Amino acid sequence: MPITLVNPMNEFTPQAVAAAPRLAGIDGRTIALLDISKPGGSIFLDRLERLLKQRYAATNVIREMKPTFAKPAPPDVIERIRHADAVIEGLAD
Amino acid sequence: MSRLRLLAILQTDCPTCRLITPYLNKLADSETDVSAISQDGEEATSEFVRQMDVRFPVERDPDFELSKRFGVTTVPTLYLLDDRDQVVKHEPGFDKNVLNQIAALLDHPPVATPYDGAPAFKPGCTSRHLEARTDAVAAPALNLHAPRGAPASTIEIADGEDPYEYCFREFNDALPVVPPTRERVDGMLAAAGRDPREVIGRIPPCYGEATVEKIAANAVMAGCVPEMMRVLIPLVRAASDERFNAHGVQATTHFVAPLLIVNGPVRHELKFHFRQNVFSNVARSNSTLGRALQLILLNLGGARPDGIDMSALGNPGKFSFCIAENEEENPWEPLHVEHGLAREQSAVSLFAAEAPHGVSEHGARTARGVLKTICYALATVWTYRACLNYEALVVLCPEHVHTIHRDGFTKPNVRDFLFENTGIPLRCYDANCNDERSDGVAYRSAYTEIQVDGEPCYRKFRAPESIKIVVAGGTAGKFSAVLGSWSAGPRGSQMVTYPI
Repeated sequence: MPITLVNPMNEFTPQAVAAAPRLAGIDGRTIALLDISKPGGSIFLDRLERLLKQRYAATNVIREMKPTFAKPAPPDVIERIRHADAVIEGLAD
Repeated sequence: MSRLRLLAILQTDCPTCRLITPYLNKLADSETDVSAISQDGEEATSEFVRQMDVRFPVERDPDFELSKRFGVTTVPTLYLLDDRDQVVKHEPGFDKNVLNQIAALLDHPPVATPYDGAPAFKPGCTSRHLEARTDAVAAPALNLHAPRGAPASTIEIADGEDPYEYCFREFNDALPVVPPTRERVDGMLAAAGRDPREVIGRIPPCYGEATVEKIAANAVMAGCVPEMMRVLIPLVRAASDERFNAHGVQATTHFVAPLLIVNGPVRHELKFHFRQNVFSNVARSNSTLGRALQLILLNLGGARPDGIDMSALGNPGKFSFCIAENEEENPWEPLHVEHGLAREQSAVSLFAAEAPHGVSEHGARTARGVLKTICYALATVWTYRACLNYEALVVLCPEHVHTIHRDGFTKPNVRDFLFENTGIPLRCYDANCNDERSDGVAYRSAYTEIQVDGEPCYRKFRAPESIKIVVAGGTAGKFSAVLGSWSAGPRGSQMVTYPI
C-alpha cells in the first residue's frame, strides 16, 4: 500500500526578482552608503565616501545606519534610502 | 485631588496585551484600583486570567458595548478615569514610559525598567469589534498577517521506496526522521484540537507559515508524542516573538542555538527530565521537543546549516537543546514565576545560548566561595574583555544550591552577588599588550569601573537582570554551568517565556 506523507516544508515559493540594471556611471547620481552598525563598517564607508567625493564631485552621497546588525533594516531606514540610484552596504566586521 | 482608577481593554490572544499584563499586575498589587475588560469569550478569558496570573478583576464585553462606548481602536488601551468615570488619559499599545507616567499619576512607584526584557514600546492589535469578518476565505500567498494558512500538500511515495530514506533525501535533514504519515500527523492534530490551518507564527528568516498542521508534521518527524502539541503551540509563538529575534539567532556567524527551558506541572505530566544529565540524551520529551523546534526552524524558517545559517562553528544544541528546571531542588522562585507567571502554570522559555561551560567547585564550603568561582566563568562570556552587551544563563546544580541557600542567600542576593563580583581587571586592557581594536577593548569608554576584591575592574554585565538563574541537574556532583548569550537586549535576542 502506498504511503502518504504530509509535506513538512515551507511550501511558499519565493518570487525571483531580477537584479537592478548596472548604472552606466555614478557621476551626478545619488549613492547611499548603508552601515549595518557592525564594528569597522564606518572605517570602510568613510573611506568610500571620501573617494566618491574626490573623484565624482557631482555625486550625491547619503549615509544611513541600521540601529542593529542583528535585525532587518527598519522601514524608516529603507524609506530614507529608497530614492538612491545605488546602495553600497558595509556588511561585516 | 480626585482619586483615579485604571481600566484596560484587552484581548486574550494579543501579544501586546500579554506583554502589558504583568505590569498591570504590579500596579494592582497595592491600593491602586485596576480592572480590565476582555473582548473575548468566557473560556478564553478565564484561561488568560489563569495563565497570566491576573491579579485584578476582568469583566467581559460580549457585544462590544463598552468597547464601542470607549471608542477603542487598539488593544491594549489603558484608560485613566476620575471619580466621575470621565476619561482623563487614554493610551493605546505598550509603552514603558507611559506605564511609569500612569504609575506616577496613581501615586505608585515605577513599574517598568529598561532592562527587564520587554521592549520599550510595542504597538497593539486591532480592537475585536473592528476586525474584518472573512470566514472560510483562503489567505492569499503573501499576506503576512493572515490568521489562516494553506493546507499542507501531501506526497505519495512509490511502492517499494523506503520512507526513511525518502525523508532523508527530500527533507534533507542530517539525522533520519520519523516519516510524517497522514495517520501520524492526524493523531497530532487530534491532540492539538485546533484548526489545522491556523497560523501560529511565521518563522524567520524565510517567514514560512507555521500552521498547526505544519507544526504537527515536524513534531512527528522529531518523534514527539501527540500530547506534546500543547507545548509546541506556545513554543512556536515564543520562537516567532520579535524579542527573541529568531531572524538574527538563526542567521548569525556566532555559536548560539535556542535553548528551551520547561517549567511547571507539565514537567511531570509529559515526563520532562530535570535531574542528572539534564542537557543530554536522557528523556524522550526533552530530546524530541528540542528536536521538533530545530526541524521547525529548519523546514519552515529556512535557516539551513549549509545555507542561511552561517554559524562559523555551530552548536551541538542544534540537534536538540531542551532542559527542564529542577523546581523540587530549587528553594527560590523558579524561572517562570520570576517572569510573572503563577507557580502552578506550566511554561516554556527560550534563551539564545552558547553550549554549556562547566563550572566545577567541590572545595568551597560557603555560598561566597561557590559564587566567586561562578563569577570567573561568567567573566569569559562572549570573550573575556567584552562587557555590557551580553547576558548569561547560570544553571546551578542542586549541591551548589544547598550550600548557597544554607548561607541565607535569596535568588536576588545570588544575582546581585554575581553582578557585583564579575569584573575584568583593568590591567587586561593595558595598551602594551593589546590591539586597541580587540573585542571588548575598543568600547571600554562605555564601561563602568568597579572594585572587585580591591582590584580595579570593569563591570562585566549591564544589570543584575542580565544574569538568568535556573536550578537543574542531579543531586550528586558539584558541577554548575554558565551559558553565554548572543548579542543581548533589544538590539539582539531577549529571553521570552510563554505559558503552556
